[in-house]
Amino acid sequence: MATITHEEAHVHAHGPELQHQFETPEQQKEAATLGMWAFLVTEIMLFGGIFMAYIVYRWAFPEAWEESAALLNTPLATVNTVVLLVSSLTVALAVNAAEEGNKRRLLTMLALTMLLGLTFLVIKGYEYSEKFAHCAGAKDPISWITGSDLHESHECLVPGRGFLFPEEHGATGGSHGAAHTASMQSGHQLFFLLYFCATGLHAIHMIIGLGVMSAITIMALRDRFSPTYFTPVEIGGLYWHLIDIIWVFLFPLFYLV
Amino acid sequence: MSTISLPQSSYIRDNSRTFIDWLKSWLLTVDHKRIAILYLLSINFFFLLGGLAATLVRVELITPQGDLMSSDVYNRAFTLHGVIMVFFFLIPSIPAVLGNFLVPLMIGARDLAFPRLNLLSWYLYMIGGIFALIAAVFGGVDTGWTFYTPFTSTYSNSNVVMSITGVFIMGFSSILTGLNFIATIHKMRAPGLTWFRLPLFIWANYATSIIQILATPVLGIALLLVIVERVWGVGIYDPALGGDPLLFQHLFWFYSHPAVYIMILPAMGVISELISTFSRKRIFGYEFIAFSSIAIAILGFLVWGHHMFVSSQSVYAGLIFSFITMLVAIPSAIKVFNWTATLYKGSISYRTPMLYALGFIGLFVIGGLTGIFLGVTAVDLHVTDTYFVVAHFHYVMVGGTIMAYLGGIHFWWPKMTGRMYNEIWGSIAALIIFVGFNMTFFPQFILGYLGMPRRYHVYPPEFQILHVMSTAGASILAIGFIVPLIYLAISLRKGAIAGDNPWGATGLEWKTSSPPPTFNFDKTPIVTEEAYAYPPEAAERDAASWRPGSPL
Amino acid sequence: MAEQQHTNAHHHGDRHTHISRGTYYRVFVALMVLMVLTVAAWWVEKNLLHIPGWLAVTIAMSIAIAKTVLIVLYFMHVKISSRMTQVYAAGAFVWLIILFVITMGDYVARGWPPQPGPLP
Repeated sequence: MATITHEEAHVHAHGPELQHQFETPEQQKEAATLGMWAFLVTEIMLFGGIFMAYIVYRWAFPEAWEESAALLNTPLATVNTVVLLVSSLTVALAVNAAEEGNKRRLLTMLALTMLLGLTFLVIKGYEYSEKFAHCAGAKDPISWITGSDLHESHECLVPGRGFLFPEEHGATGGSHGAAHTASMQSGHQLFFLLYFCATGLHAIHMIIGLGVMSAITIMALRDRFSPTYFTPVEIGGLYWHLIDIIWVFLFPLFYLV
Repeated sequence: MSTISLPQSSYIRDNSRTFIDWLKSWLLTVDHKRIAILYLLSINFFFLLGGLAATLVRVELITPQGDLMSSDVYNRAFTLHGVIMVFFFLIPSIPAVLGNFLVPLMIGARDLAFPRLNLLSWYLYMIGGIFALIAAVFGGVDTGWTFYTPFTSTYSNSNVVMSITGVFIMGFSSILTGLNFIATIHKMRAPGLTWFRLPLFIWANYATSIIQILATPVLGIALLLVIVERVWGVGIYDPALGGDPLLFQHLFWFYSHPAVYIMILPAMGVISELISTFSRKRIFGYEFIAFSSIAIAILGFLVWGHHMFVSSQSVYAGLIFSFITMLVAIPSAIKVFNWTATLYKGSISYRTPMLYALGFIGLFVIGGLTGIFLGVTAVDLHVTDTYFVVAHFHYVMVGGTIMAYLGGIHFWWPKMTGRMYNEIWGSIAALIIFVGFNMTFFPQFILGYLGMPRRYHVYPPEFQILHVMSTAGASILAIGFIVPLIYLAISLRKGAIAGDNPWGATGLEWKTSSPPPTFNFDKTPIVTEEAYAYPPEAAERDAASWRPGSPL
Repeated sequence: MAEQQHTNAHHHGDRHTHISRGTYYRVFVALMVLMVLTVAAWWVEKNLLHIPGWLAVTIAMSIAIAKTVLIVLYFMHVKISSRMTQVYAAGAFVWLIILFVITMGDYVARGWPPQPGPLP
């Protein structure tokens, strides 16, 4: 296995964290940061495609957008925004703690971050289940599970064959033609489709982010970091902040305007 | 400089005792050179597979009737050809094989910045490839490599989801390679190796990497939405449900036009190396070639609409896209002029890699100029979706990328394996490929101009003579691709020992032993001169010392 | 602000430049204020007075961009990063704009959404 062992000439005076291909820890850190940023560029462009679709269809169906946004749970999303912004702060503080070599504070901040991330996912999951419960005919997720209160609601906001946008919220009364109703429905359906795609993709990134944070926590518990080497905390933090930035745009675009 | 035997230790050799150990040492390697070899084998496998599909297509087209295949099978054959060749051969070809092998060597680094990510990108490539293969085995796809909606999303009942998943995964492999190169080229250059001392191959790969990280994710999301639409039965591209099929084309070509430059830019980098080495001259207009790579990368993002001239895109958008398309010709022409200027008064030796390089220049000029025809809206309306387009992009992709890929493989073969290939057979194969290629694709320009549409398995009888010519050329081309496989394989055992620098070339990769040791350089090299630092009188001296019998 | 920039320029290339915890807290407060602002704008629009759609979008997007700039510059350390990192961070957004502007250019010029009925 000559490929992994170090050659004698390349054993450095630095710590074990310096990989064989680098000369200095600074070089390793800068390469990691630049590489992470290049990856973040990729992520931004990935979500860019969804935002592109959002712009195109919002342009086409402004009324449908307004009516649909009113049916999303804005108070919960606001709570979620606060949760994510706080988690961004805790991540920034975690990086700061790692920089100062304060292991205790680093672990606290990482734990807080993961807790906040989980909270976000739970709230998001509740929002989703609300929509699915309505499709199943229940008033809220709890009555959906217990099986009571069925057939209360006449809406289904999950895109698909069963999609049904409630009449009283739409501009379409009985006076309009059937063709018109169909096209209005399609605008609403596109809104919810994009909503589920965008927030779903965001949630997947959140889950990956939680995995990254757990890995960093384990590394911190094993004393892998020092004030001179905390690159994983830093680039993991970059990833977490990116998730936050995506939400900063998703929140107003879907819930507010 | 030539040594009697291969170096005692190199990246190829290891001291594993059992077969399992040996297999592990290759499949779990993080050495960029070994990963390049893994890529070389797997990419060539896909190339042969795509070539097989092309053979089916060409054989069917010998006669005007659909006697070998039904239209449906024909659709699947050309789609398989397109998907495999574009996504699993052309896009990874030069960056993943030659780039992986050479980028650290050329900049004097021990490895890429993220070796494990590099291995991961090979595995992603393989997983993507397996998905595409499974899709092909279980019936194939009939949508064409472009996966246009609403055909893919609504009408096609072939294995669209499976193929798209494969392409999606392959996309991440491509992104990881690009990201790795960017960090490596920025942060790991040897002391003294400033940007303007870098070989032009590095510049070209850097420009390619930028495209890879900026464009590939957009393809990813466009394809992901197709999967969502198919699986979920909702209409994001479905006009019946308020969607717009053209949105897919916009997102798709936002990737796939720059992807054309992912294929051709590294090829141009290879050609710059070859031309300079075999003319014994420093490259003419180094800065212009370097910056034209970057210019092509950036301009390439602004022209995607020229694929959509007839797709009910706005005529005003078409006008602007047409205009910007013309601009791409400028940096491309700059490169061609500089290469020819490098040849001027050089001592040109017609070794195999140089034959490919000269072939590249000629074919790329034809491919590029017909590209300008197609960029003009008025002409494009006439020849859209005809064999003219097919011939044009094959001139650029095969005549450009594959010529450079083969030239590069031959040029760096002694560095990769430590042995020389057979020069005579090499030259013969290069000539066969050149002749076969032109015979295959030049008739297609005429076919297209006369109105033969692409993607049809039957055609009016008056086109038969041109189609038969094309198929005959394709057979010659196939022989040309098989011959190198044989003599390169033989050279692994029987080839003459190459020595460190068989071509007398400049560049850091020739300063280490062939094949290089695991960590490339025993001591980190220090660079004090520009790339291609051939002394001014090198060409003249080289020409004067030529005697009958010495290598060309 | 100007002074801070000056010290950053002074420390350019120095690995130990870092953003203090106090700055993080201040940025966080600014983020919260912006968040309250954007929700307040939504509430006002919904309950008190009618704001035209384009204005509401402009307000919400300006606030989102302001938040992003704060996060990118301070939390993600772009302010004290190497020039290359800054270029890449900016490049991502420039390329997004290229995608949006050119594609929407086509949609606007084409007439979107397509109107049903006979051609004019």
